[in-house]
Amino acid sequence: MSTVQGQAIFRDVPEPKRVGLRQKVWNSRFDYLYVAPAIIVMLIVIGYPIYYTIELSFFNTPASLALSAKQFNGLDNYVTILTSPIFWKVTWQTVVWTVVSTFFAFMIGLGAALALHREFAGRGVLRAILLIPWVVSAVAASYVWKWLYHSDFGAISAMLTQVGLVDKPINFIDNTSTSLYALIVVNVWKEFSFAMIMLMAGLQTVPDTLLRAAQVDGASPWQRFWHVTFPHLRGVSMVTLLLLAVQNFNSFIIPWIMTGGGPAGSSDIWITHIYQLAFGRQRWGVASAYAVILFIVMMVLGYFYVRALTKGDDARAAT
Amino acid sequence: MPTSRHREKRARRLLGLSIAALSAASMVASTATATYAQSVDLSKWSPEYVKSIAGTKQFDAAKDCGAVVPNDYTGSVSYWYTGPFEADPAIAHEQDKAFWEAFKAAYPNITTDVQSITYNELLDKFRTSLLGNSAPAVIRLQILGGVEFAAKGYLQPLKPEDVGYTAADFWPGALKSVTYEGVSYGLPTNNETMAMIWNAKVFKDAGLDPENPPATWDDVVTYSKTINEKLGIPGYGLVAKQNAGNTPFRFMPQMWAYGGGALDEASAEPGYKDVWINNAGSKAALQAAYQMYAVDKSVPTSALTNTQGENQAPFIAGKLGMMIAHPAEYAKMTDLASKATGADKAAADEVVANMRYGLIPAGPDGKRAVVFGGSNIHVVKPEFVQGGKVDEQAVKALICFWNSPEWSTRLAWVGSNPGNINGFLTDAMKERLDTIKFLDVTTSMLPNGIPFPVIPQAPEIMNIIVPDMLQNALTGNMTVDQAADDAAAKVQAIVDGGGGI
Repeated sequence: MSTVQGQAIFRDVPEPKRVGLRQKVWNSRFDYLYVAPAIIVMLIVIGYPIYYTIELSFFNTPASLALSAKQFNGLDNYVTILTSPIFWKVTWQTVVWTVVSTFFAFMIGLGAALALHREFAGRGVLRAILLIPWVVSAVAASYVWKWLYHSDFGAISAMLTQVGLVDKPINFIDNTSTSLYALIVVNVWKEFSFAMIMLMAGLQTVPDTLLRAAQVDGASPWQRFWHVTFPHLRGVSMVTLLLLAVQNFNSFIIPWIMTGGGPAGSSDIWITHIYQLAFGRQRWGVASAYAVILFIVMMVLGYFYVRALTKGDDARAAT
Repeated sequence: MPTSRHREKRARRLLGLSIAALSAASMVASTATATYAQSVDLSKWSPEYVKSIAGTKQFDAAKDCGAVVPNDYTGSVSYWYTGPFEADPAIAHEQDKAFWEAFKAAYPNITTDVQSITYNELLDKFRTSLLGNSAPAVIRLQILGGVEFAAKGYLQPLKPEDVGYTAADFWPGALKSVTYEGVSYGLPTNNETMAMIWNAKVFKDAGLDPENPPATWDDVVTYSKTINEKLGIPGYGLVAKQNAGNTPFRFMPQMWAYGGGALDEASAEPGYKDVWINNAGSKAALQAAYQMYAVDKSVPTSALTNTQGENQAPFIAGKLGMMIAHPAEYAKMTDLASKATGADKAAADEVVANMRYGLIPAGPDGKRAVVFGGSNIHVVKPEFVQGGKVDEQAVKALICFWNSPEWSTRLAWVGSNPGNINGFLTDAMKERLDTIKFLDVTTSMLPNGIPFPVIPQAPEIMNIIVPDMLQNALTGNMTVDQAADDAAAKVQAIVDGGGGI
């Protein structure tokens, strides 16, 4: 009976009415109301500066004119930037800085995470010690490293001289060939703890039973890592690498404090160059165009980051 | 109800009236000040002359400024400046406090809204406040700071006569620094020039005359090499960091002495159109720096990332022979020595005892030059001031009082000199000369002072292009000629209103 009734009811149900966008918005009006304050704040503190930066990028802002008297110059600022050999030199340095820093911070972080994943006496203390670089203020760390590297009185050179490895101080940061790499070392030191923490969290998800089974099957430590552990870390590794890359692309404090982008621009990266153009040279229009280019690159990286984060969501949703 | 157009008209009329009132008052005031104009003879300027005139005349700021703005005037004024901070000596705090008490006593009915802002923050904060129409009525800026705002139309014209003084009361170089396109936009509050300091013991140990500094810049190269070869320490404290004011303050005197310059700022009548940064003199100066850094290696390797602050530690440790330094350097070294302990203390005390001040070296043809440093006071246009109005009388009272012979001396106690040259006649100046070692030497460089180009592009030229040129040459990134020509192209481009990145 009930089945018959049910079938009758099912047959009589009309096609669901398509709900228009306006109706959807109206139905969710209270949801919008609840998030409105956050959206308004974001529009003011994020949306407006982005809009203003994009607007300024189409104007010439000479030092002799007030910003309100800026002169529209179309795409000139973009042309100036993209045709400048300095831009391409700084871009290459930015790529080197980002890729090398990210790679080494990740690899050292991975090594530290694997080492700390095992039980041994003093593991907690060592974990705390390895976290120090990440916890220390970047400004303070930069000043300390500047003195460690100092080309005349640096502690590193002093130690190496005392043990007889060198006979005069090494010129780390006042040298156009080594300054960028000297800064990368500091950056890796500062960042590897972050990778370590992320990967330690990832290691918690590797099933112990699988590792034991592999061990019983005679897999070597490397085979256990490569075939069991690493596949489980792939997701978190991707996220960590992308976060590190974004962070490095936006790095400012270490290069600015330690070398200011010098000597002779040898450690300039995009962010320090933009800052110099805007605040050192008051060239707001060109600096804005530069910032827009950086923004586009960051958006691309951001897209891949979100993709990495949501990978598998669609597949899960389909099942 | 008045419309916005009416309001605008009325505001313009009020502005016009206040400018007219200011001009009229200026004329009255100019008669009140002629009494002590030109009582200092700049042609006789020397350490001995500075000592001989100190304490020879008394001034009464309250009375003199009362002739410009009546002492019972009721009004208000807002003011931003870089006052004394924690690291400054007690005397600076005392003088600052005494000034505000004296001003209150002289003008009991003028209320003041005063903010002391650090040197590094002041410019940015002022720029931001102008964009938001919330600037102070009066601001004191570093000597090069005002021209940017004058060019952009934020400042009111202001000349010495407007506040009861005459042009003869100020250094000609200082007045140049507040003049943009023929109009005066401020008054110099204090002026100073740097000097050469050296460690007499280092000189003696290196076989050099311990009591005399190198006479020429060529001698600096030779002395630096000798010290480095004999003692294994850097001879001259070269500074070539980008975006640091220290670099042009030390390198421009060298360029000017050789007959160079960024533009034609070292000429008698600078027009700031001709680019000199790649002329023979500028290249000779750059070559001398290259010789010391890259060939002789007789200066700190860290010069490219050093500011002057980083030269202080090796100097007080006896590990640096000589450097160009601020008048306040002796006080800083004494302070550093007082904080040293153990064996370091003995070494530091020895350095302080052996510290000497001398004139900045001259060029090959005897030309001696130094950057004319200091600060200027400016008045902001009403439309950019918080509340949209400027109390002209209160503003004039404050500027007159601040720039009086007595207070312009006392407010510059530690590291500078009075902007009003009549301050050199005061008791306060005599007391300073008696208590601050080497002050007579540093003040005697003032007639050699050259202000940086008074154009809005000057900060970029001095803080970015000049150090960049030095770095390109010293690192071998470019030859001396290429570095100078590259800098010249950049200077020309920005003077023409363009410029790459």
